[in-house]
Amino acid sequence: QYFIKRVQTTKGMASLLEPFVNQTISVLTNDGRNLVGKLRGFDQLVNVILEGSHERVYSPEGVEKINLGLCIVRGDNVSVVGLVDIELDKKIDFSKLRAEPLKPVVH
Amino acid sequence: MLPLSLLRTSQGHPILVELKNGDTYNGYLVSCDSWMNINLRKVIHTSKDGDQFWKVPECYVRGNTIKFLGIADEVIDLVQKEEQAQAQSSPAPRGRGDSRGGRGRGDRGGRGGDRGGRGGDRGGRGGERGGRGGSERGDRGGRGRGERGGRGRGQ
Repeated sequence: QYFIKRVQTTKGMASLLEPFVNQTISVLTNDGRNLVGKLRGFDQLVNVILEGSHERVYSPEGVEKINLGLCIVRGDNVSVVGLVDIELDKKIDFSKLRAEPLKPVVH
Repeated sequence: MLPLSLLRTSQGHPILVELKNGDTYNGYLVSCDSWMNINLRKVIHTSKDGDQFWKVPECYVRGNTIKFLGIADEVIDLVQKEEQAQAQSSPAPRGRGDSRGGRGRGDRGGRGGDRGGRGGDRGGRGGERGGRGGSERGDRGGRGRGERGGRGRGQ
């Protein structure tokens, strides 16, 4: 399923997040972190509310999961927001996963 | 649910603030505003590397320096209760009230602009009256015209 919508100019780009509300999303922040949680709300500045969130820290040694719970991510730190396919996510074997961590954003 | 309304609801509760520079502030949220500026009490400030700690009774954090906020889980239940209370107390009529307010402001703004334009016209007419007055009086009128003419015609 792909959400491609023609956005009204009055609402702004942020309204593209509307179909993601109450679904599990993955947020990539400017410092290279990956936060996964349920999108509970957002605003025009792309400040995001994540419920039951955890951070996935990737490294060549393995993956670490840090629980954060309820959090607000400030919009100017958000680089990417993506919808998580939960079925596909369950199939990932994190114990065997090795990856280089993302680098922080450079302006 | 709007992020800033969640923040406002979490006033009085413990909060974790991570700044863009990596420092963390753990304390009770006293107040916040629409720019996400926040006021904390009983704060423990930890440096980015986790090697330095400060105990700060009160502090103010400017909104634009914040990376993210960690909120106590109990707050989300409070928000849901507040949303239910708001839904009950404000039915449809509020929407009509807002549209009236919007149109009213728009109309007044437009008329105000027209008044400014008419004021300019009045200034021009005043100058013309001065010119006619000068022609009847002779010399004084002539000098008056010359000076005014100079400004107007760019001599």
